[in-house]
Amino acid sequence: MNAHQIVEAVLFAADAPLTADEIARADESLDEDQVEQAIRFLKAEYDDAERSFQIAEIAEGYQIMTRAEFAPYLERFDNVPRPSRLSGPALETLAIIAYRQPLGRIEIEYVRGVGSAGVLKTLQDRELIDVVGRAEGLGRPVLYGTTQKFLEHFGFKSMEDLPRPEELPIVLRERIPLGPEEAGAAEPVTVDSVAADAVAAAEAPGEDEDDPATA
Amino acid sequence: MDLTVAESAVPREGFLLVETDEFQGPLELLLHLIRQQDIDIFDIPISHITDQFLQAVRSIQAHDLDSAGEFLEMAATLIRIKAQMLLPRTVEDEEEDPRAELVRRLLEYEQIREVSMRLSAAEADRARRFTKGFNPPRPRRPIAESPLETTWDEVFAAALLVEMPIPQNRQHLVTPRTVSMEDKVVLILDALRETTRVEFSTLLLGFREKMHGVMTFLAGLELTRRRLLFLRQTAPFAELWIYRREDPGEPEVVPEAEDARGGDAGSEPMQAEKVEQPVNRSAEGAAEA
Repeated sequence: MNAHQIVEAVLFAADAPLTADEIARADESLDEDQVEQAIRFLKAEYDDAERSFQIAEIAEGYQIMTRAEFAPYLERFDNVPRPSRLSGPALETLAIIAYRQPLGRIEIEYVRGVGSAGVLKTLQDRELIDVVGRAEGLGRPVLYGTTQKFLEHFGFKSMEDLPRPEELPIVLRERIPLGPEEAGAAEPVTVDSVAADAVAAAEAPGEDEDDPATA
Repeated sequence: MDLTVAESAVPREGFLLVETDEFQGPLELLLHLIRQQDIDIFDIPISHITDQFLQAVRSIQAHDLDSAGEFLEMAATLIRIKAQMLLPRTVEDEEEDPRAELVRRLLEYEQIREVSMRLSAAEADRARRFTKGFNPPRPRRPIAESPLETTWDEVFAAALLVEMPIPQNRQHLVTPRTVSMEDKVVLILDALRETTRVEFSTLLLGFREKMHGVMTFLAGLELTRRRLLFLRQTAPFAELWIYRREDPGEPEVVPEAEDARGGDAGSEPMQAEKVEQPVNRSAEGAAEA
């Protein structure tokens, strides 16, 4: 039995993305490198044979998925698994959490300008976000973060696949640190720190005035 | 100055009759007003925008109070900024532009909207790729453990309030048949006539009332006291086995057993004989077989 056959069997039978480490548990002779090598081999093989499926890198793991061009045929079946699409408010809320996590409901509502308790409940029920901690301060409000399901839902391999702030065609991006340096900050984002950002934003209004014209 | 520019960008006031239902919130509406009119976001004509915003807000359906509140809060913010703009500001004054915070929020919101559009596209791409098999319905989240907010005092107080059923005048009285221990003694001895041991539970077969179990057990204890049998159980709640004692003559030498027996002493030898008989019989049976 070849390593790539074992890996293929495991991937075929799995109903969720598996990491190389998880796949390697199939046999003592397998290690992560061999699994990754086998996956490269299989990917090339599927491409050469023009298979209708491929091994997708998703949610920090691997999963066999059909190619997108076969969607019209599969969509005719009712019982084919299909994740339901998220609403605008849900996507907006997820976007905020994805870049700013961990953060609480109050901060999310401040950014969106609307109440978000219902949306948060929905996202939590769908396991796209989860409570990842509690903020210091009054009431110790819960802080939300994205889950593995979030990556699966959007077909992301990792959080690196999120659009990077600098590639967004939005003005003033330097002043709105949505990047990892803010997301990874030990201190949760509070209204106070948001206000501090606002002061920073006010300090240099002239620099980016060319941008809105181009946008 | 900005005000005139903005007004010239608006061909007619009509387009401002926006349906607030179309907007998720006040930030989206405000952004729409600004972007639609090509207003420089860093120099928002607050007075003009406030008027337009208020005009749009008027179309909010009165029944949607939650979202109305959010739009009205933004209207209040706009009016406050408008008022602050009118105040003279000295050059040395380090105080920021009253609009700065609003501008920052708008830009941030615009960026978030861009990201959510990208997420939507990624979601659509992902939805076109299918995984194998049927997804079972998503399990419900386990209910979060909530601390007990009731004290025991409250529980007891509530328990006291529970009305006990008032005894009704009975139409007729059903007297249960009395279960006598002597019947059970006979039952046990009969059961042990043919065999050396019997399971306690088999003696209860056919009797539904608990009292039969109690009396059978008491009879077992009584016969044990009379040294006619012994009880054995391998573990708590395990089956109770009743064994026939093969040496029924022995109790006489135990002084305390004699004392306890009292008036019953006369019947003892007879009982012992009864038990001895089956022993012999079963021994014969064994020999025949």
